[in-house]
Amino acid sequence: MKIALGVLICFPVLVRCIIGLPKVPDIPKLPKRDAPFQDVRTRLHRTHQDADEDSPEKYFHESTFHQHYDGRFADKKLNYDDRRKHLTALIQTYLSSMNDIGAETWIMHGSLLGWWWNRKILPWDSDLDVMVSEKSIHHLAQYYNMTVHHYQLPGLDEGRDYMLEVNPHYTNDSVESANKIDARWIDTDTGLFIDITTLRRNKTAQAQGIEGAMMVKDKHHYLYDDIFPLRETKFEGFPVKVPFAYSELLVEEYGERALTQMFFENHRFDPEKQEWVPLRYAADQHRLLPNGPLSHGTSYWGRRLPSDPG
Amino acid sequence: MPPQQEMEGQDDSEGRERSLSEWRTKLQTSLPKRPDWPGAPRDLPHVSPGQPYTSHDAYQPPRTLRHGDYTKQSAPLIDQVSNRWRGTEKASTVYVSEPEDHELRFCDLEDEGSCPNTIRDLVRSRRLRRMLAVFLVAAVMLYYGWKWYLQPRLQEEWSFKQGFLPARSNGTYGIARAGDFEGTAIQWLDSSLIPGGEADREGKRRLVFVGDIHGCKKELLHLLEKVGFDVKTDHLIATGDTVSKGPDNVGVLDELIRLKADSVRGNHEDRLLEAAKTILGTNLSPQSVAATSQGYAKDATLLKQLKPKHVRYLRDMPLMLRIPALPHASTARHQHKDRVAEDVIVVHAGVVPHVPLEKQDPYFVMNMRSIDDRTHLPSALRETKRGKSRPWMEIWNWYNDRLFRGRSLKGFHLYTTAEYEDEQASESQGWLGSLWDGLFGKGKAKMTPQIVVYGHDSKAGLQMHRWSKGLDSGCVAGGKLTALVLDASGKTEVVQVGCKNYKA
Repeated sequence: MKIALGVLICFPVLVRCIIGLPKVPDIPKLPKRDAPFQDVRTRLHRTHQDADEDSPEKYFHESTFHQHYDGRFADKKLNYDDRRKHLTALIQTYLSSMNDIGAETWIMHGSLLGWWWNRKILPWDSDLDVMVSEKSIHHLAQYYNMTVHHYQLPGLDEGRDYMLEVNPHYTNDSVESANKIDARWIDTDTGLFIDITTLRRNKTAQAQGIEGAMMVKDKHHYLYDDIFPLRETKFEGFPVKVPFAYSELLVEEYGERALTQMFFENHRFDPEKQEWVPLRYAADQHRLLPNGPLSHGTSYWGRRLPSDPG
Repeated sequence: MPPQQEMEGQDDSEGRERSLSEWRTKLQTSLPKRPDWPGAPRDLPHVSPGQPYTSHDAYQPPRTLRHGDYTKQSAPLIDQVSNRWRGTEKASTVYVSEPEDHELRFCDLEDEGSCPNTIRDLVRSRRLRRMLAVFLVAAVMLYYGWKWYLQPRLQEEWSFKQGFLPARSNGTYGIARAGDFEGTAIQWLDSSLIPGGEADREGKRRLVFVGDIHGCKKELLHLLEKVGFDVKTDHLIATGDTVSKGPDNVGVLDELIRLKADSVRGNHEDRLLEAAKTILGTNLSPQSVAATSQGYAKDATLLKQLKPKHVRYLRDMPLMLRIPALPHASTARHQHKDRVAEDVIVVHAGVVPHVPLEKQDPYFVMNMRSIDDRTHLPSALRETKRGKSRPWMEIWNWYNDRLFRGRSLKGFHLYTTAEYEDEQASESQGWLGSLWDGLFGKGKAKMTPQIVVYGHDSKAGLQMHRWSKGLDSGCVAGGKLTALVLDASGKTEVVQVGCKNYKA
C-alpha cells in the first residue's frame, strides 16, 4: 500500500525526468572565476582581490595593490630582496613539479632574457613567464588542476605550498583579452605567481598557407621551427628548456639593446661576476643619466664604475 | 740767482714799475747757461715765435718746469702768438671733402684711387685674372673632392668604427653569457694534418674546404675527383650543413667518415641533434606533420635512418675549427689576396669581429648573416627590423684590414681584465714611455688578423675576400658545389662542380 502510494507520488516526477526537459526555471549561468577565497585561504583573513574592477569573464583576479600578486594570498608587496628570493623558489618548484609530472614547458619573455644574461631571473622582474604545449595543458587541466604541492626548500624557513590553478577558458583557442593566461603556479604564502600560457597551432594562418604558424592567446605569434626542438639547459640552477631560436626570439621581442645594454632599471651588469648589481644610492644613479659619467666607457669592466655598494 | 731775485723783487714793497719791454730786454739778455745735471736735454725745444704749433709736428711731451729751470718758453707767450695759422692747410682737408661729394667718398668714378676704378683696373690686369682662375679651379676641385671622395670615405670609416666604441653604446655583444653549446666549442686542427707542419716537412699536404653539401653525394664525389683528392696527403674540411634537404644524407655522412673528414656544426646538424634527444631511443611513432612541421617531420625521418656512428659523428662536430698559420706560407705585406698565411677559423655562418671566440653565442655562430651597426649583435636575417645592420663579413674584413695594417685598436671595447690592465698601464706611461717601449721594449703580443672560412649563405653565393671566404654556392638548389684548396705555401685555388636541383 505504502509502496503503491510512493510510486503514485513519484510517478509523475519520474515520467517527467524520463520524458525530458523538466519545467524547472533556468538557473542563471554563473561566470567562471577562480577558486573562492574561503576554499583556498592560508594565512589571510580577508581577500585583497578586487573582482569588481575586472571584466565579468575574467577568471584570474589580481590583487588590488599590484598586478603581479594574487589577492587571495598576498596582503602586501614584498621588498626587493624578499621578492627575489621567493621568485627564485617559485621557478625552482615549478620546474621541479613539471618535470615530475612530465609536462613539456619552457621559459619565455622576461625569464628567457634573464637566462640569456646570466641564467638567473632579472632582479627587477616581479613575475615569471613560461609556456606549455597544448598536450601539456590538457594533461594539467585533467589531472592536476587545483593541486597543492608542498616544498621545503633550503634557505626558506618552513615548507611552502604551491598551487596549480588552470583556467577553464584554456579550451578556447581564440584570442581573448580577459583570459590570456591559461594557468598559474601560485605561491600560497606570498601571493607571487607564474603565468603559464599555451602555444597553440594557428589554424587560420596555417589555412592561409603560413607553414608552422603558432600563436598564443596573449597575441604573440611564432613559428614552430623557432621554438622546437627545445634545448635543455639550466636556469637558477635547475634544468629547464628554452626555445630553439632563443636569441632571434629575444631580439624580435625586446630589440638589440636588451641583449647588449649593461645598464637597465637602476642595475648594472658586472661582467666579471656575471650578475646584475643594483645601483642603490642616488650618487650612483645619477651616473645613469645620458650625460653622466657612465654614459661613456661602459665596457671597461667595472673598474671605472662604482664597486658593489652592497 | 739774479733773475729769480729779480722776479721776486718785482713784488717788493717799493713797487717800482718797469715797462713790459724793459722786462723783456732784461730777461732776454740774462738767459741761463745750459743746465749741467745729467739727462738734461741737449736742445731746448725750438719754438720760434711766430710759428704755429700744428698737429703735424712731432709730439713733444710736456716738460715739467723744475725749480729754477728756465726755458725760452718762460718768455711771455703772447710773443709767440701770430696769425699765420690762417694761411696753412689743415691736415684733415685731405680727407674731408666738399659736402656735395660726401656720398661718393670711395666710389667716385672720376677719382683714380676709388674702389670701382681700382677694381676695374685689377680685373683687367692679367696677373689677377690668372690668380682668380687658379683660385676658382682649386676651390671647385677641393669642394667636389671633399664631397665625392673624402666625405663618403670618412663617413664609411666612421660607420664601421662606431660599433667598436664604448662611447656609442651602453654595452655590446659578448658581455652577456649567451647560449650553451653541447660538445666542443673550439677545436684546433690536428697538427699532423697541417700542410708544411711537423708531419709534412716537404709541404705536400693540402687542405680542402667544402661548402654546404646538403646530402649531394654524387656532386661531392665529382668534386673530390676534380680536385684530385688523395686520402694520404689531403684532408677534407666541411663548413657544416652536410645533411638535410638533399638526396643522399646518409651516404654523405658515410663518405665523410670514411675520409676521416672534419666538419663544423651547422644549423641543420644542430636541429637534428636536438631533435635526436626526443626522437631517438623511443619506440613511439613519430608525430604527424600536422602536429609539428614539415621540417621537423623530415628531420624525424632522417634520424630514423641514421646509425649510432652517424649520430656520434654529428655530435663530434665542433662549433669552430681553428687552423694555425701555415709555417711555410710567407707573410709578406705585398702578397696577393689569394694567399692564406694567417690563422684560419672555420665556422658555419660567421663570427663577430673583436669579440673573443669563447664569448660568441653558438646559435649566432651557426645562423648569422648580418650584424647590427651599433651593438654588433648578429642576426640570422639579412636585414634586421631596426634596419641598421650590415653583412657581417664587411665589418670582419674592415677590422682585420685594420689589424693587418697595424693601426691601433685604442678605444675599442674590452672583454677581459688582462686587456683592461694592459690599456691602463700603457695610458699611465705617457708618450715618452711608449716611445721607449716601442724602441727598446720586448713588444707585447699584438693581435693578428685571421681568415674566416664559412658557408650557410647560399643566396650570396661564393664570397672570396681578403679575410673571409664564403663557400656556399647553393648546390642543393641547382647551383655549384665549391671547394677551396689550400697548399703548404699558402696558395689557394677555387674548384667548382655543377649540381642538380634537388629542392623542387
